[in-house]
Amino acid sequence: MSLLESLPKPLPLPVSADAQPVLEGWSLIDRLLAEQQQLTAVERFSQDFSTLSTTTSHDPAQARYYAALMPASPPGPLEQYAFEVDLDRCSGCKACVTACHAQNGLDEGETFRQVGLLVGGTSALPVLQHVTAACHHCLEPACATACPVNAYEKDPATGLVIHLDDQCFGCQYCTLACPYDVPQYHAAKGIVRKCDMCQQRLAQNEAPACVQACPHEAIRIRVVQRQQVIDDCETSQFLPGAYDPQFTLPTTTYKSARPLPRNLVPADFHDITPAHIHWSLVWMLVLTQLSVGTFVVEFWLTSRWGSTGEWLPLAAVQLGHVSAVTAWLIGQLALGAATLHLGRPHLAFRAILGLRHSWLSREIVAFGLFAALSSLYAAGAWWSWNFAAWGNALAVSIVVSGLLGVFCSAMIYEFTQRAYWSGMATIQRFLGSTLVSGAAIVLLMQATTTSPSELSVTWLSRLLLWSSVWKLSSELLVLRHLRDRSHSVLKRSAQLLTGALRLLLSLRVVCSLIGGVLLPTWVLNGQDFTLGMGFAIASLVFAGEVAERCLFFAAVIPHRMPGGVRS
Amino acid sequence: MKLPALATDWLHARTGPLTRELLLSPGEFGLGQLPVLRQPDATTTMVCGYCSTGCGLKVHLRAGAAIGLTPDTNYPVNLGMACPKGWEALEVLQASDRATVPLLRDDRGQPQPVTWDTALKTMVTQFRTLKDKHGPESVAYLSTGQIPTEEMALLGALFKFGMGFVHADANTRQCMATAAVAYKQAFGFDAPPLTYADLEESEVLVFVGANPCLAHPILWERVLRNRHQPEIVVIDPRRTETAMAATLHLPIAPKSDLTLFYGLARELLQRGWIDPEYIGKNTSGFEAFREFLQPYSLELTAAETGLSLTDLERTVALLRPGRRVSFWWTMGINQSHEGVRAAQAIINLALLCGHMGQPGTGANSITGQCNAMGSRLFSNTTNLLGGRDFLNPQHRAHVAQTLGMDESRIPTQNSLAYHEILEGILKGQIRGLWVIATNPAHSWINQNYARDVLSRLDFLVVQDMYHTSETAQRAHLLLPAAGWGEKEGTFINSERRLGVTHKVCHAPGQALADFSIFRAIGEYWGCGDWWNAWSSPEAVFQILKRLSAGQPCDFTGIQDYTHLAAEGGIQWPCPVGLTDIPRERRLFADGQYFHPDGKARFLFEAPRPMPEPATEQFPLILLTGRGTAAQWHTQTRTSKSAVLRKLYPEKIYVEINPRDASALKIAPRQMVRVTSQRGELLARAFPTPTVAAGQIFIPMHYPETNRLTDAVFDPYSKQPSYKACAVRIEPVTATAHAAASNYASP
Repeated sequence: MSLLESLPKPLPLPVSADAQPVLEGWSLIDRLLAEQQQLTAVERFSQDFSTLSTTTSHDPAQARYYAALMPASPPGPLEQYAFEVDLDRCSGCKACVTACHAQNGLDEGETFRQVGLLVGGTSALPVLQHVTAACHHCLEPACATACPVNAYEKDPATGLVIHLDDQCFGCQYCTLACPYDVPQYHAAKGIVRKCDMCQQRLAQNEAPACVQACPHEAIRIRVVQRQQVIDDCETSQFLPGAYDPQFTLPTTTYKSARPLPRNLVPADFHDITPAHIHWSLVWMLVLTQLSVGTFVVEFWLTSRWGSTGEWLPLAAVQLGHVSAVTAWLIGQLALGAATLHLGRPHLAFRAILGLRHSWLSREIVAFGLFAALSSLYAAGAWWSWNFAAWGNALAVSIVVSGLLGVFCSAMIYEFTQRAYWSGMATIQRFLGSTLVSGAAIVLLMQATTTSPSELSVTWLSRLLLWSSVWKLSSELLVLRHLRDRSHSVLKRSAQLLTGALRLLLSLRVVCSLIGGVLLPTWVLNGQDFTLGMGFAIASLVFAGEVAERCLFFAAVIPHRMPGGVRS
Repeated sequence: MKLPALATDWLHARTGPLTRELLLSPGEFGLGQLPVLRQPDATTTMVCGYCSTGCGLKVHLRAGAAIGLTPDTNYPVNLGMACPKGWEALEVLQASDRATVPLLRDDRGQPQPVTWDTALKTMVTQFRTLKDKHGPESVAYLSTGQIPTEEMALLGALFKFGMGFVHADANTRQCMATAAVAYKQAFGFDAPPLTYADLEESEVLVFVGANPCLAHPILWERVLRNRHQPEIVVIDPRRTETAMAATLHLPIAPKSDLTLFYGLARELLQRGWIDPEYIGKNTSGFEAFREFLQPYSLELTAAETGLSLTDLERTVALLRPGRRVSFWWTMGINQSHEGVRAAQAIINLALLCGHMGQPGTGANSITGQCNAMGSRLFSNTTNLLGGRDFLNPQHRAHVAQTLGMDESRIPTQNSLAYHEILEGILKGQIRGLWVIATNPAHSWINQNYARDVLSRLDFLVVQDMYHTSETAQRAHLLLPAAGWGEKEGTFINSERRLGVTHKVCHAPGQALADFSIFRAIGEYWGCGDWWNAWSSPEAVFQILKRLSAGQPCDFTGIQDYTHLAAEGGIQWPCPVGLTDIPRERRLFADGQYFHPDGKARFLFEAPRPMPEPATEQFPLILLTGRGTAAQWHTQTRTSKSAVLRKLYPEKIYVEINPRDASALKIAPRQMVRVTSQRGELLARAFPTPTVAAGQIFIPMHYPETNRLTDAVFDPYSKQPSYKACAVRIEPVTATAHAAASNYASP
């Protein structure tokens, strides 16, 4: 590369008054270099369109080929546009991908269509089948349900699932929610973009770019009855290797005159590379749960024993100001991390728009409430305001909103239908983190006071110990799938954990075992609870939770359309 | 109450700058809608610069420069379609590793930028010194099928007539030498009879060693436009995409083609399913052929080829006269130790049943590179300009006269073939090599040997678009070349169609069209007066027309580039006076071939065993071939498009039958070591039943593949046999894999 940078710049062309290069007296090389930069094709070979244009209509020239691939009329009520792919004609040339890229002016490397490969059959009758796929313009698009800012619309007239690029704030939740891996995040623009079936072309009765470009006429546009789509999704298989169509009701039809063998698997079926670790989400999740946990555990502790150790009525709940402010600060950090995750953070305020359908909106509202209430509480604790009877209500509200937020976080992932992120497992995981990290932080708080309450330390250690044991064992349960006979999704997650991610998994287990199990046991067995001990426990537990959350993202097997060979 | 529009937009922006980025606007020029930001102000159509299909691409121009392209709806080859390579053809010109200035190695062996003047003086001095010291056979060039005919001819003329050297060949040796020789011997001239419309007209299509679905997707387009519901027979050891689409797939044992075709021919004869009239009138050598075929019973054929008697009988029935039968072969035949005879065995079948000269018939070679045909006729390497013979004094005299040049400038001996040039280097007879637009350090068979040979040269000049190709990195002197789209000229495609390309992009830095580089070298060398006529691509086109006169490839009836552009390409022959040129023409409709007796010849020879059969030590047969439609050869171009890179597996992989894989304890995606007698490589395993047990398949595009291949050549065409050598394969442990540094390094 250094070589390239040191290259001389191209020769400037000296130009005469009439803008013609002056070549007289030039060396041969200079003349050739000057000629090289002159483009003359337009003067000599530019096409005369008066003779080329089709005489009677203004249809594009290509219409003669794609007209037969288009529906006779636009969709009526209860109908919509859909792709139909004739698998017998899809030979895997992938011209559709490049045509879509070029004809829609997509950015470098950006593609809205993909072609995968299914392989199976027997040695006597092997089968390979390429599969072209773009957006399936589902009847119940998961992207739209997931979107917190209502950036997806299902066009009432055409049924197309349209992404509003200017409304998108780049949370990328749709990229996790779509079981066909359709929405593509464009990092430089900070938004997601996706196939809109070339709706602008359809509006002029032109075929989408992929339909126009398929040399084999494998892709056509149909008008489908919405009820028919529902019926088909209930009874027939959408495509081997693709996710259950009943979730989103995809409208694409894959047809083939050949029976597809039952053992067809995607060419990338055995590819188990770790998924992307969304770092800001890791921090956001770990820190919100830590913050909520701190409040929950503190309230639990003080409501139970008060600061002096005797049972207190709930009304008297009151946190030390250090705890309150710490918990509040962590909560703010978490929300900051969440904002950093957005491609366009200045539009974060739009996040509440999807409250009626999006778990992400709900999470943001719940944590927003939690942040506001905890701010109030922290301010009160810092400046020693007297909330009187409201204090109790405030405490309960903080706990409820915080736990609701954690629940919504879990539901965000549950919604993606990914087995490793299934509801119960994720709720256990996130609630576990809340308790484990809350207990660890409150323990640390205890350690920072001049005289830690022995009773509190005992109960906190017990809480930490048992919640750590519970959490760790429920996490490791997934490894039982290593013994699955089939190459199940959870088996692949387990293989990832014990394969490419084994170092991270060891870190996670070691941190949790020492910080969450060994050290609390030691404390319970009479070891002096010092500041150092408190710090060791808190940092190990925290590190363990961060590692756990990285694994949460990295070991998941996303749903996607069949992919190609990955080497 | 309605919110003010501003507030609504703020909360729910239905449009805005991001939406506008993907806005389309009604297309001009019959193009349909295009992105607003990419509206052209003019268009021009030119031929694609990748494969020999020769598609017409409509380049969108703004202010004279290309801003995009779409396949040309009206071009008679591709009918508005293109493969991914064509769609991305402009993109790869923008790569950051384009060669932009001549690079000359300094005393420490480091490439340093130099002026063109220095570069050319150095090259001329080096080559002249070698010539003075070691004679005219001491410098050779290896050229390409990827540059226009005018450039090929100019190079051939410069090197042989101007600089006075003898030996030159091109990468077309790797691609269609077999077809060229087979045609020349059988028909009397290297004349592929087909026109692509035959794919639409056939009732039976026989594809041999060909996977047009991936290698020639636009030809497969033409097959799918066939309205006769054709029977499609695919002869290929692998179950390819094309085999999947076949009505009959014959998974033949590798390199048993000759036996198969002889067996089929004998059975056709046996059953009387031949065309005696055609044979009698238009062929010679039939009786000897009939005699020769006696031993090739269907049973023997079944045993040798591994095919079932039923399938063989079905095939025989499909070939019988009465239906329109066409044969199409590609590299599975051409790249073979007995490829010429195998191609001729296919031709024999067509002659036997009279499947020639009529719509939907023919024994047709689909060639590889965009200008393979141009190279065959005008590269002045194996043949003297215009498909002539260096050894023929009349031919030499005619060419010298046509060029207004002293006859003594024309060598009276043939060029060495590609592998003989490499041998010459090894023996120290050839000391200087000039490589133009090809990449032997990647693509030549038995790569370790090829790289060793290249390292022995006194002076290696590489002329290429990119300074990063495996061969360019070994050059003493690198000359930066402009690529397709940055220069003018014509290509000749598989159906003999001349098509024109234009200069629609600015070449980067000081890169020059190959034509200009050859011109400049000629000036620096001092070629004399005759050379002045070769002044521009279009001037050379007129010279080539004159050279074609009287030959079967006569195209004197084509006026100039404008004529070609207006007609959407024109097929040879096109002699003066041919009017109302039909858009699709095939050869031999009159049964007249180019031998003096006007007859086609039956040519045959007993099959020879595969040079390197499987052994105990190397129990598997390695097949190589094209991986995807998004990859082209050694990937110097296609790897430069981000979109194309998404369409093929990034690193080398090996397809293996699941039964072999489990016997060898190879799991899917496991790293394996593949070893032949010549070298080894590491790759990921991809078990798939589409590869038969006992065989493995590795795409040719990866730089490691040819470490394994065996340098065996067809004795007539001298084309390398890439597609069959013996290997063994074994799983590699994770640690060994980590330790092995050769994986993924170029």
